Amino acid sequence: MDIGVIYLSIAFILLILSAMKDTKKTKQALKASGKIALTVFPVLFLIFILMGVVSAFVSKETIASWLGSGRGMLGILIGEVVGSFALIQPAAVFPFAGVLHDRGADYGALLGFVMTAILIGISTLPLEIQLFGKQFTLTRNILTFVLVFLIGIVFMLIL
Amino acid sequence: MKKLVRDALIYIAITLVIWGVIAIVSPAKGLLVGEVAYGAFMKAIEIIIAVFIIIGLIQVWVGPQTLSRLLGKEAGWKGLALASTIPLFIGGSLFTVFPLLKTLRDKGASIACIMAFITAWGGKAPLLPLEIEFLGWRFAVLRICLIIPFAIVMGLLSQFILDKLQRDA
Repeated sequence: MDIGVIYLSIAFILLILSAMKDTKKTKQALKASGKIALTVFPVLFLIFILMGVVSAFVSKETIASWLGSGRGMLGILIGEVVGSFALIQPAAVFPFAGVLHDRGADYGALLGFVMTAILIGISTLPLEIQLFGKQFTLTRNILTFVLVFLIGIVFMLIL
Repeated sequence: MKKLVRDALIYIAITLVIWGVIAIVSPAKGLLVGEVAYGAFMKAIEIIIAVFIIIGLIQVWVGPQTLSRLLGKEAGWKGLALASTIPLFIGGSLFTVFPLLKTLRDKGASIACIMAFITAWGGKAPLLPLEIEFLGWRFAVLRICLIIPFAIVMGLLSQFILDKLQRDA
């Protein structure tokens, strides 16, 4: 059976269980899902087209030379820098990383890209500074960058 | 809601312009771009719908109140342990997580807990199906396994650094 169908079945079973327990809450949940869909689908459309652009215009050699295993640890750093500046929804991170992987990117570099794309955001810096202060923000972003690099090395060695 | 729709339309417009320009300059490349985008869409659509439904359910059943009850007052190791695992299962983006954490911080959660929370939230367990589909289960499992120690180290280390900075200041 198709894996997507399995996930969908699980989601619907949970939805039915939720509805049996509390119809009102379940309606709220569906509304929340709709809102997420409205936010994420347009971004996904852009990301999917960008994936096409990468496939059509960037050769395998180029991706492999920047993010491939030949780059070693530098590839992790490049992945992290790209991820830090990437303004993409977490849901879009994995499909995009998938294309990079198909085009020869190393697992270490992909880990760097995925984690920083989720955890470090140039676009969220102002909000973070406003809510938690400069010291907190600097410490968190720098420390995250360093620790992700170390995890990237683990990925490079194990996978 | 209006802003949501407007943002959605902006994204769609930008995407169509990019695709349109490519298709006009080179119809063959334009077709290729469309094919890759369609393939990725078909590969992901069922999983994405399932994930959205589950995230919606999590948002309603594990609301901010539940979280702050769990994390606001729990101090020490127990708080850190909770902060390094529970956020794995919640959705949202940094834009929604930061305000929630500000509330927790104001309610007395430690710096270590807040830092661990953000990091563990990056585990993104609800998106696991998508991650497995595009990057393989070995990548996904290793990442989820490492995110918990990552969150704990992140919490302790940043607490140490920020305490030191505060004392020196």
